[in-house]
Amino acid sequence: MSDFRHFMKRGAVMSDMASERRLIEACQRGDREAFHELFDAHKDGVWTIALRFTGDESVARDVTQQVFLKLFTSIAGFRHESNFKTWLYRLVANECMDEFRKKRRLIPLDFLKGGRPAFSDDRDEDCGEVEIKDWREEPLQEERLARLEISEAVLAALMQLKPKLRMAIVLKYFEDLSYEQMAEALGCSMGTVASRLNRGHKALAQKLAHLRS
Amino acid sequence: MMFWNHVSNRLSAYLHGELRPEESRRVAEHLMICPRCRDEYEEIKFGSQLAARLSKDLARAQAPATLWAGLEEMIDGVEAERRRPGAVQGAVATWWKIALAGAAALAIALAVFRFYPRAPRPGWDVTRIEGEPRIGSKTVGEAGKLRVGEWLVTDDSSRAEIRVGEIGQVQVDPGSRVRLVEAKADENRLALDRGKMQAFIWAPPRQFYVDTPSAVAVDLGCAYTLEVGADGQGLLSVIAGWVAFEWQGRETFVPAMAMCVTRPRFGPGTPYFSDASEDFQNALAIFDVAESGSDARSNALQTALSKSRKRDALTLWHLLARADGDDRLRVYNRLAELIPPPAQATPEAVMRGDRAALDLWWEKLELGSAEWWRIWKGPVPSQTK
Repeated sequence: MSDFRHFMKRGAVMSDMASERRLIEACQRGDREAFHELFDAHKDGVWTIALRFTGDESVARDVTQQVFLKLFTSIAGFRHESNFKTWLYRLVANECMDEFRKKRRLIPLDFLKGGRPAFSDDRDEDCGEVEIKDWREEPLQEERLARLEISEAVLAALMQLKPKLRMAIVLKYFEDLSYEQMAEALGCSMGTVASRLNRGHKALAQKLAHLRS
Repeated sequence: MMFWNHVSNRLSAYLHGELRPEESRRVAEHLMICPRCRDEYEEIKFGSQLAARLSKDLARAQAPATLWAGLEEMIDGVEAERRRPGAVQGAVATWWKIALAGAAALAIALAVFRFYPRAPRPGWDVTRIEGEPRIGSKTVGEAGKLRVGEWLVTDDSSRAEIRVGEIGQVQVDPGSRVRLVEAKADENRLALDRGKMQAFIWAPPRQFYVDTPSAVAVDLGCAYTLEVGADGQGLLSVIAGWVAFEWQGRETFVPAMAMCVTRPRFGPGTPYFSDASEDFQNALAIFDVAESGSDARSNALQTALSKSRKRDALTLWHLLARADGDDRLRVYNRLAELIPPPAQATPEAVMRGDRAALDLWWEKLELGSAEWWRIWKGPVPSQTK
């Protein structure tokens, strides 16, 4: 019976993959209608990541449109060597991070924690990058939390996470990606994915420790 | 200090089941003896529960309907830029002979491609019931064709009916997105991304499937409604016949007048009759999603068992396979009170998941023969004679 189930499941997945491949190949030939279908199939996923990452509908709209515009101009280069969804989500993650960097340039230095230099020691393992502290990363006020529903409080806490940790949480919990898919989408190792999720979970738990009882 | 023996950097991966079995076992063993890592694990687990709450409460957001219009303008701009003569002038000046030869070859190839007879993608007839249902970006008039790979989309005020080849029909309610995945003689498959559909299928079992984000509904000759919310959760309500709900090795059989919820990451829940008490249904919902071995799961099971009626034997029979250890024994005892087991279905046989024993007990529920379940997994009887 398990063989049968496996066969059925594999059949369904292969069928979906074949349909998507045909759609992508039509897009690569410049078929606008096919691109519209591809957009329809993935727009909610892209929008969800952009919205949950940026927390702002107008920014999410810009990010989503830019992602699909980049997809339109670059889809000819997609060689079906990787999973299309994770390839697309890599565009989304990059666009979100670009958007964050743009916004960060506008933040006055006064907002940076304790007047310290803009760089923290928080080195991201494997990627070897140095990250600027997010000025929004400060404790949530108790009275503010009391006014929020739990999911709103979690969302508020999520918005205070460092961008890389936030993106890992968004991809895991809103899009249900595996560590392997996340590593592909984020362009890092599975170890880095695990580390970012570890840190993201801990940060959420610490910011919302009062909900633990 | 045996610092390198700590497992803190693997705790999220352990929690998510992303470690190899031997690594997972090592982490579990370490957690048993290391209070520091155990505290850290509890913290990470709490953070994970908070994040999971987000996905549960907020679900996947729906992109604004106006996004495409704005994007299309941007694409037009890009294409206009590409077509601008200056953009390719230099290349033409340098390589005009090669380009002209290439263009001629391309024109010939296109002409051959254009007039070469190609089989159309298989499709099903769609009839508009009300409003303006769309296939892809085109509005369906009174009737249209849904081809493999295409989406049928209904807005808040439109409905449509799909003729499933020669084997049945599906009504697509407002606010739905349905894709035709496969249209073959032996496999007819739709994907319901969101919204609601009502299926009436008269084909032999296992010819019609509906993919949802968290389960596959396998038709066993029946009429049913299937609903998928924006958060990916699904609800199956069977009107006549039987439907199987499957996901990653977990399966649920749902008879007429019964229902089953399916949830992203959990798959099909435990089926129940629609007239079961609210307490019973709520307890099942908690049991289906609570962590294995947790008090919450065990308490929910206790509530479900205490509220169960003889008719709920369907649910209890499914719970036999889903509960573990002492919980399974509690299910056994309650089901035995409601429907005495056959001699072969001893506690030992059921505890070890003996399928023959479970099948014999199933027969006593009078919901149809277990033999039939096994048949639908194999060739259709009429084809084997």
